[in-house]
Amino acid sequence: MLKLFRFLKPYWWQALILILSIAVQVWTTLRLPALMANIINVGIVPGDTHYIWITGLKMIGLAAISAACAFISSYFSARIGANFSRDVRAAIFTKILNFTLADQKDFSTASLLTRTTNDVNQVQGAVMMILSMMLRAPLFCIISIIMAIQTAPDMSWIILIGVVAILGTIIVIMSLVIPKFKIFQVLIDKITLITRENLTGLRVIRAFNNEGLEKKKFIKTNDKLTNLLIYIDKILELQNPLINIIFNGTTLLCSWIGISLLSKDYAYLGNMSAFAQYVTHVMLSFLMLSMLFVVLPRANVSAHRINEVLKKPTKINWKEKTSKMPEKTPSVEFKNVDFSYADAVEKILDNVSFKAVAGETTAFVGSTGSGKSTLINLVPRFYEATSGEVLVNGVSIKGYEKTDLMKRIGFVPQRGILFSGTIASNIKFGAPNATNEQMKKAAEIAQAKNFIERLPDKYNSHIAQGGTNVSGGQKQRLSIARAICKEPDIFVFDDSFSALDMKTDLKLREALKEITKESVVLIVAQRISTIKDADQIVVLDNGKVVGKGKHLELLKKCKVYQEIVKSQLSEKEYATELRLAEGVKNA
Amino acid sequence: MHNDIPESGKPKNMGESFKIFLKSIKRYRFLIVLSVLLAVGSAILGLFIPKILGDMTTIAVDTFKTGLNWGALAGKAWLAIGLFCGSALLNYAQAYILAVVSAKYTKELREKILDKISKLPIAYFDKHKFGDTLSRMSNDVDVLTTSMSQEIADVSLSITTLIGVMIIMLTISVPLSLISFIVVPLSVLAVGRIMHYAQKYFREQQNTLGVLNSKIEEDYSGQIVIKSNSYEDDALEDFSKTNEKLATVARKAQIFSSLSFPVTHIFTNIGYVAICVLGGIFVVEGKINIGNIQAFIQYVSRFNRPITEIASTTSTLQSLLAASERIFEFINEAEEEPDPEPSKKISEVKGEVEFHNVNFGYSKGQPIIHDFSVKVTPGMKVAIVGPTGAGKTTLINLLMRFYDPDSGYITIDGVPTREMKRSDVRKLFGMVLQDTWLFSGTVEENLRYSNQKANLEDIKLAAKASNVNHIIEALPKGYNSEISEDSDNISAGEKQLITIARAMVANPPMMILDEATSNVDTRTEQLIQDSFEKLTRGRTSFVIAHRLSTIRNSDLILVMRDGNIVEQGNHESLLKANGFYAELYNSQFADN
Repeated sequence: MLKLFRFLKPYWWQALILILSIAVQVWTTLRLPALMANIINVGIVPGDTHYIWITGLKMIGLAAISAACAFISSYFSARIGANFSRDVRAAIFTKILNFTLADQKDFSTASLLTRTTNDVNQVQGAVMMILSMMLRAPLFCIISIIMAIQTAPDMSWIILIGVVAILGTIIVIMSLVIPKFKIFQVLIDKITLITRENLTGLRVIRAFNNEGLEKKKFIKTNDKLTNLLIYIDKILELQNPLINIIFNGTTLLCSWIGISLLSKDYAYLGNMSAFAQYVTHVMLSFLMLSMLFVVLPRANVSAHRINEVLKKPTKINWKEKTSKMPEKTPSVEFKNVDFSYADAVEKILDNVSFKAVAGETTAFVGSTGSGKSTLINLVPRFYEATSGEVLVNGVSIKGYEKTDLMKRIGFVPQRGILFSGTIASNIKFGAPNATNEQMKKAAEIAQAKNFIERLPDKYNSHIAQGGTNVSGGQKQRLSIARAICKEPDIFVFDDSFSALDMKTDLKLREALKEITKESVVLIVAQRISTIKDADQIVVLDNGKVVGKGKHLELLKKCKVYQEIVKSQLSEKEYATELRLAEGVKNA
Repeated sequence: MHNDIPESGKPKNMGESFKIFLKSIKRYRFLIVLSVLLAVGSAILGLFIPKILGDMTTIAVDTFKTGLNWGALAGKAWLAIGLFCGSALLNYAQAYILAVVSAKYTKELREKILDKISKLPIAYFDKHKFGDTLSRMSNDVDVLTTSMSQEIADVSLSITTLIGVMIIMLTISVPLSLISFIVVPLSVLAVGRIMHYAQKYFREQQNTLGVLNSKIEEDYSGQIVIKSNSYEDDALEDFSKTNEKLATVARKAQIFSSLSFPVTHIFTNIGYVAICVLGGIFVVEGKINIGNIQAFIQYVSRFNRPITEIASTTSTLQSLLAASERIFEFINEAEEEPDPEPSKKISEVKGEVEFHNVNFGYSKGQPIIHDFSVKVTPGMKVAIVGPTGAGKTTLINLLMRFYDPDSGYITIDGVPTREMKRSDVRKLFGMVLQDTWLFSGTVEENLRYSNQKANLEDIKLAAKASNVNHIIEALPKGYNSEISEDSDNISAGEKQLITIARAMVANPPMMILDEATSNVDTRTEQLIQDSFEKLTRGRTSFVIAHRLSTIRNSDLILVMRDGNIVEQGNHESLLKANGFYAELYNSQFADN
């Protein structure tokens, strides 16, 4: 929590005004009971109407000052709080934009989202509370005690009794209840989990006629939750009545003692009620502070989560300017590249070398976990190779300026990712200056033209957040169009065709051939039909390159490749393919 | 706990919702009335305390010169102690009863919602988002629990206090009371105005936060695209705009709402002073005694709170009603048509399935299956093929009676499925879907899910047949390993194998399978294919087919396009027909 306080630094003078106004406000508020006591003692008892008027006006003046200060302090605390959270949010957002994919994987998207919004809100709440209460409560407490002792020194021991009673009550109740809150949260999560499972598993549950079983499971947790809730309430509801008793008790005690002291000093008649008010203020300030102790631990957890993001070291440093002039002809080359996640022993990529040249398609196959997706994610430097070198157009990617590298690469991720906006804004995402002709051409190649032009607003059709208003296949085609529209040197398709049906897949690849005559094409794919025409197929197994060559060559000599092909074709088809492969040898 | 922004804080139909809500708590009316009475009692007892303390002062002043009358003072003090202890006791009793009532009431609501989930037609969930139902279960029930126990007590307490305080004040002094009756409502009115503006900004703050949230979510999940298109600066600029707006709105909301305190403060003090001045004059004139002034000042401060509380109640009541409206809207949704009574049963299943002139559409006026008839003889393997989005799952929905045909009917061994209980129809089929749904629990529990009577032996046997036994045994805890939503120890392919084993445990006479397996590595893929093969052997089976081998080995192929069944026949006959199927088939092996 304290670490985040550096974000408050720009607002130090506002904080200063805040503190001053709180101090004035506390002082004026606390002067009021004393004046009231004077009205009774000096004004009403002897019947001095003039004094009552004067003091009355003084009271109104003080109340006005106090109100003005209260407003100033809350104005600045609102200002500081809102600006603080804006700055923290911006810092987190900027930091996350610079994360590598490996960094992002350490958290999940959902968790990053809560860190940017909910956690910041939590901390903001705590900061505002600290700004007002942390200062106000102790000030109130101390000044009240001083004034109480001044008004009725003989009664000051009552303060001690009141404070001990209040603190005792709160501590006992909280220590009984807080441990139960954790269990409560667990049960609530379980209720949500079961409900969600009932929704996502709707068909399966009904198919197996297990509605009764699910209900039993739910009722068990629900009963536990209800009993716990009743237990917690039973204790928590004690708090208000007990505090009421304590407040009333102390007030009564003040009157009693005050009356018994009348013989010593008649002024106690007015003083005892002022004193009672001061004691109430003292007890209230302890109540306020105890609230802080409920809020602070939660905010601390949030602050910690925010710091985890902010403190994450940035692993990739880009050059200010590309150091060496890249070659005109596009190419991608891996030289003995290793990759493993930080702290992990296992290598995801192990000594990978290959070269992909312009006008050729290079495909990567292998089972899940073979490292093919990681491999192509190294090209735009989403991850950093642990050792070895990745060259784009003859220059190591470490020597590139960021935008200079990115503009050469058209990357199509596994999932079709779209942004809210229009179809046009999505296709032109990487090339804002593209003409409408270029955009339409890109859509046509990506086999997206037909469905776009059937929409009422065509290219101006709205895309909802996350692209939820278009189908999976359409999303994928639009994200392919986005890469094409950029006219990059290097196309990277990370298993981008699997969401398309075979027919569209084929048409798209044919159309793509036309425009990639001078570009490098890298494809990761599962389907053999997608890659069998590639000029070069790189077969990966456990991060190692176990085969490199064309379809028929690999079919002949690479065991891993044979297995992959076998699993996708019928025996008869496989036999035909093998025969073709044998033919290669004979020729 | 809940990050969602509430969809709306206001009920659509206040009166109607209130009626439904009252009806739903009818069972508890005696307890609720009792707790209201206790709250009223507690408030009344509490009211007399300042008056008694004031009396003590008066007694002290009156008897001071003749020597304090300690007997009378002690009497008053004991009375005060009795009153505030009694008041606290009644208050606790009241709160306790309400806590129990609201806990039990919300427990019932949760149960009703879950029960409803199992009784609604599948169509409901195909049209509504899960998140919506989920938020009714968590957020809305939550709102009800907290606001119900607070509101009932608070309202009755506030009203009692308000009336009681007014009466006591009037008995002390009519002119002094009039001052408060003018000043206090004025301050409440002023605060109300201010809060109205604050509320406006709070709402705007919620909306802006929602906008910001979706921007961030979009950017975080689309990072790859942002990076590879060098879009970071634009993204940051876009974010900063909304972020700045949020800060501005949040600031305004805070400032407006914090205005209310100083305003009340000034009004209260003006009231105090007026009472002191006037009261002082009255005392001098002997119209009122000093103890009563003291008491009166305390009553004025008590007069403030109930008014603000009653004012804030309306907004809490609104959100309570909005929540209960959403809950009951769900609970009162139309349920599935009940099973026929008496229902027909099939004792020995042969596995003959027949569609008789079936017509069906998901929404009225948009039929997607037209007059479809087909006869599937026992043991036949039926492949359903077609491009993505062609509606292949529709047939499965009809077979399993997740949906019923608009006209026409389906028979199993000659018995119309509509005349059978849904559960009896579903028992006849084993189902393996593309979506590998497993619940969080152990592997064993998940496998037993299809047949509660199966013992561990049966389960292991099924697992072996589905090629998943060795995978399960390799897990640290074997069959007792926990499966959870985001468990990394089990891959997507392995999950699919488990769902196949699950279907096998039930050993049903017929099978429904969805072959689509994306993101599965080739070795697991082979295992899956092999288990599918075993699963369908000798059983009438319906397969949403993606592999050519499956398609070619099936006895009947149903070709679907845009929701319609456009062709049916076997592989050879369909190729010969040279229609859509031939086109689909050739596109995959274009260069052959």
